[in-house]
Amino acid sequence: MRHAISTAAMIVALVLSGCSYNTLQSTDEQIKASWAEVLNQYQRRADLVPNLVNTVKGFAAQEKDVLLGVADARSKVGGIQATPELINDPDAFSKFQQAQSQLSGALSRLLMVTESYPELKSDTNFRDLQAQLEGTENRITVARNRYIKAVQEYNTVVRSFPGNLTAMLFGYQTKPGFGVDNEQEISSAPKVDFGAPASTGK
Amino acid sequence: MKPASLITRKTVQRLHCCYFILLCLALAVSHVQAEVAVPPLKRHVTDLTATLSAQEVASLEQRLAAFESTGGSQIAVLMIPTTQPEAIEQYAMRVAETWKPGRKGIDDGVLLLIAKNDRALRIEVGYGLEGAITDAAAKRIIAEIITPLFKQGHFGTGIQAGLEAVMRLIQGEALPPPQAKPSANTPSDLDNFLSILIFSLLLGRVLQVFLGRLAGSGVTGVGLGFVGWLISSSVMMAIIIAIVAFVLNLFLHANPGIYRAGRGWSGHDRYRGGFGGGGFGGGGFGGGGASGRW
Repeated sequence: MRHAISTAAMIVALVLSGCSYNTLQSTDEQIKASWAEVLNQYQRRADLVPNLVNTVKGFAAQEKDVLLGVADARSKVGGIQATPELINDPDAFSKFQQAQSQLSGALSRLLMVTESYPELKSDTNFRDLQAQLEGTENRITVARNRYIKAVQEYNTVVRSFPGNLTAMLFGYQTKPGFGVDNEQEISSAPKVDFGAPASTGK
Repeated sequence: MKPASLITRKTVQRLHCCYFILLCLALAVSHVQAEVAVPPLKRHVTDLTATLSAQEVASLEQRLAAFESTGGSQIAVLMIPTTQPEAIEQYAMRVAETWKPGRKGIDDGVLLLIAKNDRALRIEVGYGLEGAITDAAAKRIIAEIITPLFKQGHFGTGIQAGLEAVMRLIQGEALPPPQAKPSANTPSDLDNFLSILIFSLLLGRVLQVFLGRLAGSGVTGVGLGFVGWLISSSVMMAIIIAIVAFVLNLFLHANPGIYRAGRGWSGHDRYRGGFGGGGFGGGGFGGGGASGRW
């Protein structure tokens, strides 16, 4: 009787780990963690925007279009519920991506415009904000790369042999990476490098 | 309906597939060849451009080693000719992920990367120091302290002045003091294995009283195997633990000497080498810091 129970426990343990159930769990958790980091860094950027816009406004209020574009993009980003569940909904995921890349574009346009305001460029507050934005963009790139790696690992488990059966049994599905459409953006973070002036021509 | 055209379409698709794979392979190969490799970590200061004199390297090395032994934070300096085709940020991240400066869990590492021919540098800041060395602070150190000196060609003094500023910022941060032996104290599989075995002897003793010798040992073996599987998440480990626990309990409890044996195992001192021969502590990086050009 006791032997039967312990043998059964042993077999269950063997089967579960033999069909990569554990790997599935740990890679899934890894995705959640790295996705949380992506959201975290995007949030950090969104939090920087109002300050940045206000500082620029103080020196270059006439650049209305660009400033409005940033504010617009920022509110769009804010309008999307950035929940961890986003990764399970491809539609919402791509919408989120679109909004974020729109903000990236608007921000880089804003920084391009600031090039022609020497006073603004030498303002300490603006320089600090710019450094923070630069750092945040870099963090976003790193977080996205780590997310992509985590998804790749997970998807490999879900789609290759013993794992796919387990995944089917427990209802695990492949997760979206940052698709091919925006691969260009992934490899190159929005240019906010101000060391070399006018490196981004019109 | 039209098998012929179907076949041709399929063949064409296959051909496309082949081309695609070949293209990918070619890209992958060229990619690998083009990237600058991360040099092996030997000391705090690595200069692959032969810019710094031996004296400068030695004094920087000494300063950073002393700083590490008093505060615990690890600062690495790497000077290379170029990071092309990668951006300095990407390369810095790869170096940081390979070298892992900073203590594990505290993540108090800093990497100063200088790409001399690109005229670019970057201060990469570990997670634990992002509060002490904010991006803005790192940018200021680069723009106001380091690059003016680099512009004049004073690389040694520029690096030194920059590092002093970084160290001042780190000193303002309350970090845990360094350990006497800077060793990674995370339990290894071996530690787990030994403690599980010792535990198994105690458990086995108790269970044998209630269930009898064979069943008691059997239950202990299976139970401990399960625990081992949970901890190490490897079936092999679990099976080994289960068998060893079973055999030990079955035969060793006949003689009373085992408790002494158990104490002998747990009394083993297990040190692992700190910095010096191997590498840094395992600090984590998330892309914080700043870059600059001169």
